[in-house]
Amino acid sequence: MATARLEDIAAAIVHQARKLGAAECDVTITTRNAVETSVRLGQVEKLEGAQMRGLQFRALCGAKGTKTASSSTSDFGAKALKQLVKDTIATAEASEEDPYAGLPEPGDLAREYPDLGLFDPAVEKIPVETKISLAKEAEEVARGADPRITNSEGASFSDSAGQIVHANSRGFLGSYHGSHVSLSVGVVASQDDEMQVGGWWASNRSFDKLESAPAIGLKAAERALRQLGSRKVKSQEVPVVFDPLMAARLIAQFIGAAAGSHIYRKSSFLVDKLGQVVASQGVNIIDDPLMAGRLGSHPFDSEGLPARTRTIIEEGRLVTYLLSSYAARRLHTRPNSGSLGNLYLQAGKESPEEIIGSVKNGLYLTSVSGPGFKVITGDYSLGASGIWIEDGKLAYPVSGITIASDMLSMFAGIEAIGNDLVFRSSTASPTIKIGKMTVAGQ
Amino acid sequence: MVNTFERPLSEAALLHSCIFSPETELHNAFGLTYGQLQKIIADASKGSGGKNGFCDVFLQAGSAQSLTLDQEVIKSATSSHVNGAGVRVVVGDKSGYSHTDHVTVANLKRCATIARAISEHAQESANLALMENQKAVQKPHNLYQISQSPASWDLKDKIALLRKMDQMARAYDPRISNVSVSLGVEDYTIIIATSRGDIFADKRPLVRLNISCLAEDGSKRENGSSGGGGRFDFQQLEDEAYWQEHVLIAAKQAIELLNADPAPAGEMDVVLGAGWPGVLIHEAVGHGLEGDFNRKGTSAFSSLMGQSVASKLVTVIDDGTIAERRGSLNMDDEGTPTGRTVLIENGKLTGYLQDRQNASLMKAGLTGNGRRQDYRFAPIPRMTNTYMAGGTSSPDEIIASVKRGIYATTFGGGQVDITNGDFTFSATCAYLIEDGKLTRPIKGATLIGNGPKALHQVAMVGNDVSLDKGIGTCGKDGQGVPVGVGMPTIRLNGITVGGSKS
Repeated sequence: MATARLEDIAAAIVHQARKLGAAECDVTITTRNAVETSVRLGQVEKLEGAQMRGLQFRALCGAKGTKTASSSTSDFGAKALKQLVKDTIATAEASEEDPYAGLPEPGDLAREYPDLGLFDPAVEKIPVETKISLAKEAEEVARGADPRITNSEGASFSDSAGQIVHANSRGFLGSYHGSHVSLSVGVVASQDDEMQVGGWWASNRSFDKLESAPAIGLKAAERALRQLGSRKVKSQEVPVVFDPLMAARLIAQFIGAAAGSHIYRKSSFLVDKLGQVVASQGVNIIDDPLMAGRLGSHPFDSEGLPARTRTIIEEGRLVTYLLSSYAARRLHTRPNSGSLGNLYLQAGKESPEEIIGSVKNGLYLTSVSGPGFKVITGDYSLGASGIWIEDGKLAYPVSGITIASDMLSMFAGIEAIGNDLVFRSSTASPTIKIGKMTVAGQ
Repeated sequence: MVNTFERPLSEAALLHSCIFSPETELHNAFGLTYGQLQKIIADASKGSGGKNGFCDVFLQAGSAQSLTLDQEVIKSATSSHVNGAGVRVVVGDKSGYSHTDHVTVANLKRCATIARAISEHAQESANLALMENQKAVQKPHNLYQISQSPASWDLKDKIALLRKMDQMARAYDPRISNVSVSLGVEDYTIIIATSRGDIFADKRPLVRLNISCLAEDGSKRENGSSGGGGRFDFQQLEDEAYWQEHVLIAAKQAIELLNADPAPAGEMDVVLGAGWPGVLIHEAVGHGLEGDFNRKGTSAFSSLMGQSVASKLVTVIDDGTIAERRGSLNMDDEGTPTGRTVLIENGKLTGYLQDRQNASLMKAGLTGNGRRQDYRFAPIPRMTNTYMAGGTSSPDEIIASVKRGIYATTFGGGQVDITNGDFTFSATCAYLIEDGKLTRPIKGATLIGNGPKALHQVAMVGNDVSLDKGIGTCGKDGQGVPVGVGMPTIRLNGITVGGSKS
């Protein structure tokens, strides 16, 4: 559906809701066409495609406009939408006051929406043969990389394009288009009775910027092969070097704890830490939703607040929480958006090799598993695998071990930050080294 | 409330015992006739080569609602309305899938065109197809009999329940400084029509109640949580004994954790309590026994059928037929009645969990485990309620048998690497065992082991088997489905505990 038509629907709903008695309201419409093309062992295995759409409506009712209800539907028919608006208002009226509920103040809403290059029209025109051959090529390279690659989980090419429209009763009406392509592959390496899976992927908003299929295939094979011969190590306290993926995961968990909803509910280890040192001095963590063409970029957030670049951790100090308008009212401060764009740890000077080289005995972490991170206390205990470091060199693969500490100790213990920052997804980090964690093994 | 009837395209209709008619439901929820659906199926089946192909249409209509009380304030009441369908074409080991968020004949036709494109790529797999080998229709289950849809329950009653729980939790201890209570209900009508001439319908209610308590003592903060649910009447949640149990568990856990020590690190003997710790079974063996991984040879259990994969004390069962359970279904999402599958019997691997495609390719029987998150996804083999059968030891005797170890009763969840078999699961609440006695509460313990090996270390199995209280959701390939887990108290020797205290 054309953007103008979706904007008309959104505006009409706002108008209708006001007429039917809502004090305030907002509407978000999303549409997305997505296709996934999968191959396995050199043959097409799965073709999936769909045209998706959804509409979410929120009504704020009552004398103070603080009784809230929201509903979602994919039926865009005029009759169905009118019923949705009516029912949602009725539910809101039957609910109770939440004194903090409300839309953003008019002055806080985004007024201009920069074009961030999030949509590549070429994505919707990729011939299916091209997708199949890219997936086949990635898998073929991975399978051919070494005779010990004996099986495959397959390779997939996914592409999607869609739009987001947001409107509210305070005059906000904005929309933008986005596209996404990704190519992924997983293969199995085996030796004697042991099997190890290794996977890799690339994703981008533009088709022509996607990493090459052979590069993805080779990396997947390498990741499977390097875990062959994994063993357990003894329990000990050692430095842990997080590879960029693991470091990005850690950064996301840490900054997730700065979400306003965790703070006003006092359920985060970052409560009462604003303005304080929460990480070692070289740590700078930035959220930038305005980077051109990046996966996490957006011109405005989910409630119409403007996207702005913000530093969250500056030289180890917590500069701000992530504040939706609701969280800001709860905490008696101004909102700065509860959504994240592109979140990253600023690169340091050392190469990953230098960082690994600085460790006499420790772990190079390449994978974690399990839910063992508690936001309220920062307690961290996860299953781990990777490569053991001996005398500054990657020596042998390890698995079946755990790593444990707590977030504040871990971030205070960041001793080195690599120069290898690459934006593979919406959260990115270079390699980092944490001085000491407890490894549990034998 | 399930009803199935089979109607071979060329023969007269065969009607089984009817509580409601799939055709009536099809008309009421989607405004379609069975004839229209049959045309869509015929259209989707074009080119997929006679008996080698298989096609189904999965339709879903209904709504889900949720309500949260947090910091003594009712947050937004939310509801989502669903009216969608997915068309699937399977040829041997290949498949095509497309879904629509808005069911109309035109949209279904477009789905059929997208889904059938797979047949152009399926020449080489024609001889793998065995799709017509099983009859799905048996006597239907009737596992969730409710008096009123939970989605139609009055908002005031729901708010009242959340308020009562909040007040009780706050009264438990002055250190309880915040309470969050949430309620989720859903009710969906499912219709499945297949190219074999079957049409099935099911109505699936589901309710869930969760409470989380925050405890503060000086600068120390901890939280505890509990919850329950299943495919039963909303009224059951309003029963005092039901919700009070969850309030007490959550409040007690939050307070207890304030004084908990960090967990020790290293290999030790562990006692797992009955019920929710059955997540061990789900991760250590359940996923590894799903048909897709075993057909492809990517599971650590792939070549172990008939072999010893656990101690002789261990019997593991997946059972989708237990009345009112969260993981139970009258039929799976391909129309196959759910079943009871013994996966491990006295330590020996005896069964896999199958959907239609993988069962056919492995020349195995259907087990009723073809499940999907919703109409947007094609079905894959999934667990229902998976548990370890009871043994003969008393729980006290098991704890008393351990000189130094931990006793874990509550777990946050787990994860497994299907291929190398390594699994992880994390205890939120545990106790130190010293000389056979529970001494101190401990926190932050992640347990790690290897699937085909860990269950050999089961040294004692309790006589107190129970299932969890009904809040589990299992994720696989981006699809979340409600499941149950269960276990008696067991003793597991020499498992790695990942605490921070070395």
